Amino acid sequence: MSLYERLGGEPAFQSAVDEFYRRMLTDERVSRFFDDVDMEGQIAKQKAFLTYVTGGPAEYTGKDMRAAHAELNERGLSDEHVDVVIEHLGAVLLSMGAAPDDVGEVAALAESVRADVLGR
Amino acid sequence: MSPGQIEVEGQRIELEQGETVLQGLERAGLDVASGCRAGTCTKCLLQAQDAPPPASQRGLRPTLTAQNFFLACQARPTGLLRLRGSRGPEPVRARVASIDHLTEDVARLRLTPDERFDYRPGQYLDVLHPGGESRSYSIASLPSDGWLELHVRRIPGGQVSGWLHELAVDAELAVRGPFGQCFHVADDDQRKLLLVGAGTGLAPLVGIARDALEQGHRGPIDLVHGGLEPNRLYLRDDLDRLARESPQLRVHHCVLRGATAREHEGPLDQVAIRLAGALAGARAFLCGDGEIVHLLRRSLFLAGLPSGEILADPFLPSKPALA
Repeated sequence: MSLYERLGGEPAFQSAVDEFYRRMLTDERVSRFFDDVDMEGQIAKQKAFLTYVTGGPAEYTGKDMRAAHAELNERGLSDEHVDVVIEHLGAVLLSMGAAPDDVGEVAALAESVRADVLGR
Repeated sequence: MSPGQIEVEGQRIELEQGETVLQGLERAGLDVASGCRAGTCTKCLLQAQDAPPPASQRGLRPTLTAQNFFLACQARPTGLLRLRGSRGPEPVRARVASIDHLTEDVARLRLTPDERFDYRPGQYLDVLHPGGESRSYSIASLPSDGWLELHVRRIPGGQVSGWLHELAVDAELAVRGPFGQCFHVADDDQRKLLLVGAGTGLAPLVGIARDALEQGHRGPIDLVHGGLEPNRLYLRDDLDRLARESPQLRVHHCVLRGATAREHEGPLDQVAIRLAGALAGARAFLCGDGEIVHLLRRSLFLAGLPSGEILADPFLPSKPALA
């Protein structure tokens, strides 16, 4: 059973993605990247991301991830910002009842996306 | 259970055992957008004429569900499911039943359509200018009113709004619609509803509030109308009267400056959050120009409203503002 299913599947992730996005909007280290963003579309994308990294039904392509972050890279997106995202991701999963080991696995999967996000 | 059938643009497709609508359409050689094929990405969103299988609507916002939108990759219908074609609505002729100039730049137009025009109060329509341009306006009336009520702000130099302001009673024009996802869905009659709009963003909110009341909504409804100064707020007496007749409805007038005893003063998002109180279990409808809707959406979301309960159709400018 995937972590996605163990944590309650789609209904649980519907509210978890809200919590994740609230954290990003209110964290001064990363909030500027979200100022002009269409919130509705962004939440849908982040839900797909959370679903993907917890082993749920979502597809992921490095190409999409690169294209989506190309403009943010020009605005100074860097490793420290990816660290912030992974930090909040772990906190949200813990609040949903994930075990620390699970969080470690998800962080490792999220790490594998880092190069695509930063356009390396 | 035996597999169902789908009908699209007059073509009938028999589904095979276990097949989804998406797979059936693809097998028939039709081009359908899709992504995750697992009910997450919503790229394969389609609209049906009949109620689709509930499992294919999971996670969709309530207004989409109410309009029979569903995810093709999750739909395994057992009966016949007729899909809506990709063509949009045809234009309908309408006549001006009345025109009232409510403030120096806002007019209330009531149009009588020549043909049946189905809509949900709060949705919008396009008014077609004889010169070929079109503009979107939200619908403030209820179908039972018998007319389509629009609130038109005259934009300086605006081709369509200027023309509409000069129309006489009985003038003919064409409209097309309805469109939009900002309307009342009676899925919980105790729910708190928060309606916030700036300027002519009031129009859809009036329709939504009256629709909710007519459908027997019993939970609290807070309608907050914002404007720059008190003289920019229109339909105040009508709104106050509606609130007196409906104990569950509270109407609040909000201005950025020059408030009298009748208005709240301050940024619309902050005033609305203060007036609304607890947001758990609430649903918000946000209307106005793009910038104010963006601000309201973000503020209410950060104040605790679930993103799926924020319904909005921002008014977008007809062309990008000149730099």
